[in-house]
Amino acid sequence: MARLATTWDVFNAVAEPQRRRILNLLACGERPVNFIVGSLHFKQPQVSKHLRVLREVGLVSVRGAGQQRLYKLNGKGLKPIHDWTENFESFWNESLDRLDDYLKTLQKREKSNERKK
Amino acid sequence: MSERNNPAEEVSTREFVITRVFNAPRELVWKAWTERDRLMQWFGPKGFTMSTAKMDFRPGGSFHYCMRSPEGKEMWGKFVYREIVAPERIVLVNSFSDQAGGLTRHPMSPTWPLEMLSTTTFAEYGGKTTLTIKWKPLNPTEEERKTFDGAHGGMQQGWTGTFEQLAEYLAKG
Repeated sequence: MARLATTWDVFNAVAEPQRRRILNLLACGERPVNFIVGSLHFKQPQVSKHLRVLREVGLVSVRGAGQQRLYKLNGKGLKPIHDWTENFESFWNESLDRLDDYLKTLQKREKSNERKK
Repeated sequence: MSERNNPAEEVSTREFVITRVFNAPRELVWKAWTERDRLMQWFGPKGFTMSTAKMDFRPGGSFHYCMRSPEGKEMWGKFVYREIVAPERIVLVNSFSDQAGGLTRHPMSPTWPLEMLSTTTFAEYGGKTTLTIKWKPLNPTEEERKTFDGAHGGMQQGWTGTFEQLAEYLAKG
């Protein structure tokens, strides 16, 4: 996870819409290449190229079963993206939690000042 | 490029939106965003402290800050204010920065958009303030736009199934 190059590659890999559609399809389970080609109507060489990229960044894994090669989604590979998106959200959510606390403190202070008057 | 075949995806950059209701009058929430000392009190995740902050709150002015993580790591960032309509709306450009105020890339993702356009609106109703912040990449390159859509937009656009797989993996520990 600490390897920056890998992280960078995963972001790039999912930036391609066709590759995201392949990942989505594989989220349903292990599938052979021709199933992906048939379902998404992409060209076979394109699918092979995408699968190679996805495999290189660890987003899918492959195993041979007789004549077929079955591709499977590797959920673990998505973690850097998940972490980053979560970071962005949690950055703001936590900031706004603090803003909420801060506003409450200000209002309490205001009230106690009023009472003193 | 292959995605040219898919015009729907081409224009798919969606805004990232966070909404929050505060039990405080709008004027107070506005001050918390627009006065340096007040902004320093809350901006940044839990445990972070803002060690440096320079604010010039006017259109064209900027807020340049440095925050320190609980582990002591420094992170510089910058807002450049574009539009200010008190006490309703602030439009600004949000980016990572260095100490000199120059723009820098996201430390984890070199293809993350260099600049994000952020619109914050403050709406008051019944003594409560609804805050809405929207972000989108500013003049992104093709690569930046795709990274933003992929990492963020993609999550909301129906590759949730993919992320469920991740959730399952994480749950297994």
